[in-house]
Amino acid sequence: MEIKSYDEMNKEELEVFREIGSIGTGNAATALSSTLSAKVTMSLPEVNIMDYSTASSFLGGPEKIIAAVLVHISGDIEGIMLYLLDLNFINFVLEKLNLQPINSYEDLTDLDKSAISEVSNIIISSYARAVSQLAGISTRLSVPAMAINMLGGIMSVPMSEYGYVTDKIMMIGGNFVYENQEMTSNLIMLPDIKSLNFLLRKLGVICEQ
Amino acid sequence: MLFVSSNIVVGIADMKMVRNEGVLVTYALGSCIGICLYDPGIKLASMIHIMLPVKLENSNDNVFKFAETGIPETLRKMEVFGAVRGRIVGKIAGGAKMFDIPGNGSLGNIGLRNIECVKQTLRTHGIRILKEDVGANYARTLYFDCKTGNGVIKSYGRPEIIL
Repeated sequence: MEIKSYDEMNKEELEVFREIGSIGTGNAATALSSTLSAKVTMSLPEVNIMDYSTASSFLGGPEKIIAAVLVHISGDIEGIMLYLLDLNFINFVLEKLNLQPINSYEDLTDLDKSAISEVSNIIISSYARAVSQLAGISTRLSVPAMAINMLGGIMSVPMSEYGYVTDKIMMIGGNFVYENQEMTSNLIMLPDIKSLNFLLRKLGVICEQ
Repeated sequence: MLFVSSNIVVGIADMKMVRNEGVLVTYALGSCIGICLYDPGIKLASMIHIMLPVKLENSNDNVFKFAETGIPETLRKMEVFGAVRGRIVGKIAGGAKMFDIPGNGSLGNIGLRNIECVKQTLRTHGIRILKEDVGANYARTLYFDCKTGNGVIKSYGRPEIIL
């Protein structure tokens, strides 16, 4: 059965994305550990389908300032991945790279931004690789674009991009753990509906009629 | 005057109207556009938060999600409450391009299309745009005070703008 919107996914179909999230987060933790030479582990990720206003308040309200890195996926599937970084995680990355930790986003230098963008790119790629490998498809990722601004404004990008097809997003939230310190990590993954169906079919969750 | 808890919040793809007194607010407009329509004669103010330019055929979506349908519907409602078309003026904010995506022309350019469509729709309905703060690459929170007909824009790392 074809799915027409994200919230039509049943438990089994969501489970597939939890698995993708789990593998992706695992890959990301490994990649982070080697990039930053620090032993980073992960907690079990959660996959949530929610509408934009719920997602906004879940993440701290529309006016919360946040750093986000956006990548466009193309190839066998089309979509957007948006990685959200909070201050805790940014400082962890900066510290490990021997850069000065910051008190607010305004203190970020160009070098800091570049470093964060690269680390986010590595994390996003880990998830993309998890999807590609599991489904046996090939995907290409665009150059990452970064923005530091109000959460609501950042969320409006995927929201309007897919505004004609869905009001919901899929958020994979997992925490990175370093020396008992947990850092939130949120990835918004938005394959378009056609790609979502393609993926679920490839993964064997949707049975051919 | 502004920024009190009794502000009337306009959600995404939403419209609210107030008369005489009250502050309308919509948070963190990215590529979306906040449109304030105001009849100073009877102090009737409305704010729309649109997300996309035009409505697709056969869609059951909310009219306030789109510029093309949200603006005429709001004008109709305002006229029901006694507004006179010739007196209504508009102020708009939003339509930013939040991410600069290299080598991807269309992606993330919805803000620009929103701006064009909002302006075109307002022109078609004979509404003059008094002030605007659109485009660029930052999110805006838009306040509109019904008593004075003035707007305020707050954004991250920039001074407030009086609209």
